[in-house]
Amino acid sequence: MNVQRISAIFEKDIKDFMKNMMLLTMPLIPVVLALIYDRMGTEEFPLTLLYLIVGVTFSAVTSSTMMTMMAEENEKKTLRGLILSPASFVDIIIGKSLVTGLITLVSLVVSLMILGIDPFLNTIPISGLILQFLFFLFLGIGIGLFSKSIASTSVYLMPVMFLFGFTPMVGQLGFSEDGIVMTIFDTFPVMQAIEAHENSSWAPIGIITLWVAAAALFMFICFKRTVTDD
Amino acid sequence: MAHFKIDHDFTNNESLPSFSLTINDSYVTAVYSDTDRQAELVEVLRSDAKMTVFDQQEGLYDRLTVEDNIAFFRKWFGCRKPLPEILVLFELHSCAKTPLSKCSHSEIRRVYFAKYYMSGTEPIVFREPIHGVDIKTINTFINMLEKIKDDGIPVLVLVSNMEHALLLGDAAYKLQEHGMQPIEVDEEDANTAEAERSDVPVTTNLFKIPAKVEDKMILFDPPEIDYIESQDGKAMIVINDESYTLDSTLAEIEKKLEVYGFYRCHRSYIVNLQKVREIITWSKNTYSLKIDNKIQSTIPLSRTKIQDIQEKFSLK
Repeated sequence: MNVQRISAIFEKDIKDFMKNMMLLTMPLIPVVLALIYDRMGTEEFPLTLLYLIVGVTFSAVTSSTMMTMMAEENEKKTLRGLILSPASFVDIIIGKSLVTGLITLVSLVVSLMILGIDPFLNTIPISGLILQFLFFLFLGIGIGLFSKSIASTSVYLMPVMFLFGFTPMVGQLGFSEDGIVMTIFDTFPVMQAIEAHENSSWAPIGIITLWVAAAALFMFICFKRTVTDD
Repeated sequence: MAHFKIDHDFTNNESLPSFSLTINDSYVTAVYSDTDRQAELVEVLRSDAKMTVFDQQEGLYDRLTVEDNIAFFRKWFGCRKPLPEILVLFELHSCAKTPLSKCSHSEIRRVYFAKYYMSGTEPIVFREPIHGVDIKTINTFINMLEKIKDDGIPVLVLVSNMEHALLLGDAAYKLQEHGMQPIEVDEEDANTAEAERSDVPVTTNLFKIPAKVEDKMILFDPPEIDYIESQDGKAMIVINDESYTLDSTLAEIEKKLEVYGFYRCHRSYIVNLQKVREIITWSKNTYSLKIDNKIQSTIPLSRTKIQDIQEKFSLK
């Protein structure tokens, strides 16, 4: 790890982010969504709705920003000549993760402020949010490593968004409460975060940690494959 | 003294001959070859010798400005030279705030040069660095080569244009099917050329220059010839972008054509002085002649001949 290189990548990607319309519109999605929900109802928001915003933020901002940034470097071959060792590759990933983290934070805080951030200001919800961020970040890095063009990222982004981002909406699709579909979806990270939040229990946090570990493994496999490919 | 050696064994490659080339840090080595052989050579350098070849094929950050790009590379490679110095060195200060997507081809090339310069790679291999760029960019490249040489880093330049090889390389080589051969450097032949010139011009009653094209014999009027270059000991007449092989050597043809206003401006070139449009002065005291033909060819002018040619054009 080289701090100077990480900060070089960080500065470059922040500047690049400001000029890239495609990336710039993504963090606006949860904010706009929050504004719409805010106009729709005045009473207290159900937790599911708040977590839908959280899911959308993490999938549409965290994963997609990470994927797009890495896919663009792959597509334009801009990293050729910069990566001289796997260590410098790690620097690039860390630098980009910092950019993604910053943007996610801004987008998440703004959209939750609109709907009322108070329910989240607690140890368990916050640790849940951090773990979910890591999960979606690792997923984004993994996909970004093997996608060769920006166009292909939208294909990969769809399952991430609908499976992991929009899980709170599955409950409204009319599956039976005890059915196999709901049992499976209930174990997904965002659903577990809701459960942890509602019951103030640490057990679901443990399950999310498992998801993070799985995503980290996925990322690690993709990384190994990319490094050995060249 | 840093130097590195490339040994290539011909057994594992069909189209590339075996050769051995030592690249020194005290002079720039240029290798001239056709594009196919150059691609083979690059492949060998990359895979066998594990060298980085700078060929401007990778992308830069189009949305960012020139300055942002340079600043990023500078920080990434940990270059110690201050940013303004780099911008001035590569003549990028005037377009520093322009996004790369709006820059000209030559400006982008200079950003590549800056990136390669800052990368601190050793040895440095360039592929076609000055192909299709303006004079300013060629000059910055020559300046950069000087800097690299001062830092004691060996440089190899691969080109598919003989003029570029002679312009950039202190030592120029030609890679052909039978191996790597040095292209004669002009300093050492100054004496022989001197001796040749002291001969009394032979006036002949020859008005046409015969050249062979397949089995036909074409006769050229001397004034229509742009210049004559030497390739593998054979003289070639060049008219616009076409060339015709002569039977005689460059020295023989030089004598015959002297009375028509032709001049031996380089070991391997005879130029028709009537067709010279411009004398280009590069940095580090190298010169080229720009020919007034359709493709605006430039041919090298020996350092030793500059005085002579200025006299001929009554510039002094």
